[in-house]
Amino acid sequence: MTQDHRATGIPNGVRGSSTVASSPPTRHTARSFTHSSVLFNPGTAYPYTTYEPRVIRVDSARNTDVACPQSSSVSPTRARRPSATDVRALSAQRSSVAHIPAPTTEPAPFSRPSYLEHSALRHLLQTESPSLPPPRKAESTAVRADYTVGRRVQRSPSYDSDEDDMSPPREVRKSTPLPVTTSSPALLLPTRWSDEYRSPHLTVCSDGRELIYQGTTGGSDKDVAPARTAVPVPPACGIFYYEVEITSKASKNRVSVGFIGQDVKMSRLPGWEKNSWGYHGDNGTICSGDKNGTSFGSTFGVGDIIGCGVDFTQNKVFYTKNGALLGTVFDNVGKDCDIFPAVGLCHPNESIHANFGQDPFKYDIEDHVLQQRNQTWAKIQSTPLKWPADKFPERSTDALASPSSVTDESVKIPVNELVLSYLSHHGYARATRALEAQCRARGGLPARTPSAISAEDYVMVNVGHGLSTIPSKPTPIPPPVPADDIELRTRIVQSVIAGDVDTALSETRNHFPRVLEADAGLMLFKLRCRKFVELVLEAAELKKKRATGENEMGVGAYGPGWGLDSLDRVEVMGTLDGMGMDVDEEGAGLDMNTSTGTSMSSTPISVKLTPTPSVVSLASTASWASAAAAQYASALEKAVAYGQELESDYKNRPEVRAIFKRTSVIMAYDDPLGAGGDAAEVAGQAARVALATELNQAILQSQGRPAQPLLDRLYRQTAVCLTQLALMGNGAAAFADMPKEFLDV
Amino acid sequence: MPQRTKIRKDEWERRLHEVQVTKGDLNRLIMDYLVIEGYKSAAQEFSDEAGIVPPVDFESIESRMVIREALQRGDVEEAITRVNDLNPEILDTNPSLYFHLQQQKLIEYIRQGRIAEALQFAQDELAPRGEESPEFLAELERTMALLAFDSSLSAPSAITDLLSPAQRMKTAGEVNAAILESFSQGKEVKLVQLLRLLCWGESMLSERADFPKVDVHGGVSSDDGTGEVTPMHE
Repeated sequence: MTQDHRATGIPNGVRGSSTVASSPPTRHTARSFTHSSVLFNPGTAYPYTTYEPRVIRVDSARNTDVACPQSSSVSPTRARRPSATDVRALSAQRSSVAHIPAPTTEPAPFSRPSYLEHSALRHLLQTESPSLPPPRKAESTAVRADYTVGRRVQRSPSYDSDEDDMSPPREVRKSTPLPVTTSSPALLLPTRWSDEYRSPHLTVCSDGRELIYQGTTGGSDKDVAPARTAVPVPPACGIFYYEVEITSKASKNRVSVGFIGQDVKMSRLPGWEKNSWGYHGDNGTICSGDKNGTSFGSTFGVGDIIGCGVDFTQNKVFYTKNGALLGTVFDNVGKDCDIFPAVGLCHPNESIHANFGQDPFKYDIEDHVLQQRNQTWAKIQSTPLKWPADKFPERSTDALASPSSVTDESVKIPVNELVLSYLSHHGYARATRALEAQCRARGGLPARTPSAISAEDYVMVNVGHGLSTIPSKPTPIPPPVPADDIELRTRIVQSVIAGDVDTALSETRNHFPRVLEADAGLMLFKLRCRKFVELVLEAAELKKKRATGENEMGVGAYGPGWGLDSLDRVEVMGTLDGMGMDVDEEGAGLDMNTSTGTSMSSTPISVKLTPTPSVVSLASTASWASAAAAQYASALEKAVAYGQELESDYKNRPEVRAIFKRTSVIMAYDDPLGAGGDAAEVAGQAARVALATELNQAILQSQGRPAQPLLDRLYRQTAVCLTQLALMGNGAAAFADMPKEFLDV
Repeated sequence: MPQRTKIRKDEWERRLHEVQVTKGDLNRLIMDYLVIEGYKSAAQEFSDEAGIVPPVDFESIESRMVIREALQRGDVEEAITRVNDLNPEILDTNPSLYFHLQQQKLIEYIRQGRIAEALQFAQDELAPRGEESPEFLAELERTMALLAFDSSLSAPSAITDLLSPAQRMKTAGEVNAAILESFSQGKEVKLVQLLRLLCWGESMLSERADFPKVDVHGGVSSDDGTGEVTPMHE
């Protein structure tokens, strides 16, 4: 999972306050340089700190949380939650892709009606492509079938919150549409009357929205002519609504509007049968499974616009007339079967025109849906919060003794611990310590000392709901992470990100030896592979520098002592074509920032150069060049030697050979980072971050902690539960919009 | 259709993996929590370490917390003064909040055994309000009942609850929410909303499907079929 890549399409640098203005690339090797967070930018006024306690750190400008430069990605644009506007844009875009070039007889595709933006699964809801059989539809159905079977054609990129958020800031991200993940079903919306499921008396006009009664006789029960859509209403809409205008030129009218189930006969009006619900204009009755029905008060006829909606949060139907709500009727609608919008006509020349969202609705359905959505959310949020009983067994017992009202106070401790474990996981050491201290002072953590507030203040809530408060298998609470631990872990992880594998290795060996021993030393092997990569990169960098020095001596104004102190990391900005460099005033150190060509274009990487004393005092071009050459040769030698050592150390380990093979590929390139493809992927900054993340997880796991923060898991669990519920027809879940509620700040 | 669905663990894990949530997203949830709950220094450090711009200025967190602490140690007068310093409209526009603060003050008098003052205060301040609304009257009666019991041990818990720290917390929470609202800052902690949603979602889905529940200890459930995952609630 750490191998996953995500793309943002937006270089990180655009939001860095200190982003260096880069000129347009002048050669094909041009680096599109972005601000590298690991490094210090001499251009900023922020003080330079040698130790950054975060695992991943942006810059002192603290406007981002990206430890590393923009990651490369193999996947296309980073998926984002769409805002209402770009969803519309998206569907428009999607439709246009789906429907090229539309036959003139077909109506233009339309975007998803805006009231559906309140559905949490809006991104899955698609307006049916009008052409039949549309390629888009075929595809969607395939995907849908695939979903039910639980098999997938194609994997979508995953989104792992444990990795750094390399996505651009929200406002930028908003413009990126959210693709339908391949594993999720695309849900088609009814948008036209079916040519198949209709009475033979009816003609469906070319755009599929108009129905005309063509029979010669009419009026009697055997002449009734219903029609429905081919596509059922996806309950994931939460609420689905359509309107029908009675456009007849006939003298007598007997139109009915409603929903019917899949198996209802096409010779009966909506409402006459079981699984059939209708509102009849001639006598103003509503009926379901009953021909007589009950009076609904108002009749309707030519010129009226009747709206009909199904609300899956209550499994009821509501009707509107000329923009005014008439009422909510029926029960259990769509609970046990798919339902389809349906109408019934009865007389020659009767006609109706339906609006499935192609045109603005007469009724303010958006407000209706919004109200319902908010009510649903309030209802969900009024359910008591129950924290798992066995998390705090000792307090559950207290709860038994003194049942108390269910308030948020009662879950304060577990929530605090949830937050603390999150902060600690990601190495936010100072925040962890500060919160721990504040919680303890307030009694929001389990008492350590008798003076702390008594446990009764934080009675657990699982009481009074018939829950077992005796844990079936009590699990000991892991002891709080000592602050030193976080800093240590953070330092190790940071070393990997900075390319300093030696430090990472020795610190890990000293403090977390089990990490290196686990899985037959897999992590050790991976770190050593990375060290090999770093050596190769160093050599490649020196080679490049040598060439630069020869070609552009005088441009790169290297101060004396560059590369001397690898710990004092100084950001060197690659300018223009990436060959020129700035060295900060002190000239204390040098980090060569490179980025690779095509696929890695937004991934600058800092390669540390081991200082060679001979370089220091060189002034003349010639001696500089020869020193550089010598330096390169020695670096290359070192890399090769290390590679051979690895090779011999692991020659009897077939299980890791593949990794080694993939790693050693970079030897084949002068400039692995610039080579793109596999080599760049193995060598690039994203690989460092991935390895760092893996190491962080391994350390955490070696301490008996989860590899992912619990919060991350809880969020995902919630999202998957709700999606499943919504797809199963739970309308309330369809209105529980997690991105909107939790992520849009 | 109302047939029980069984979702296998590997399928479930795969879907979990596909949920779109980033570290940045979760960081903002955490920040929301720290700010609303008033963990000022933690919020400051977190803002610094994670590079998150805080949604409010830290000083307002501070003043909310001073008010909260005042209520938690029983100093209602101090809390009322400070709320008014912050924004006099908060109490002016919220009679129920003001009543609850006065009620808390009465409770504190009783707790301290200052019976004469308690009675005087109840007559002057609370009784007129009790006439305004039946809800206030009921609360007043419940509070006055504290006086009827010599030892709180003999009193019914509905009454002694008023003397518990939880009652102070409740009042403090109400004030906190009102202040947040006056800053047009969300008053509900999103993190808590998320947990509620999870509880709701898991219990709803449990009615119709078998699926892996969340394991609060490990986060990611282990892969041995035996242990399965710890049920969220059953």
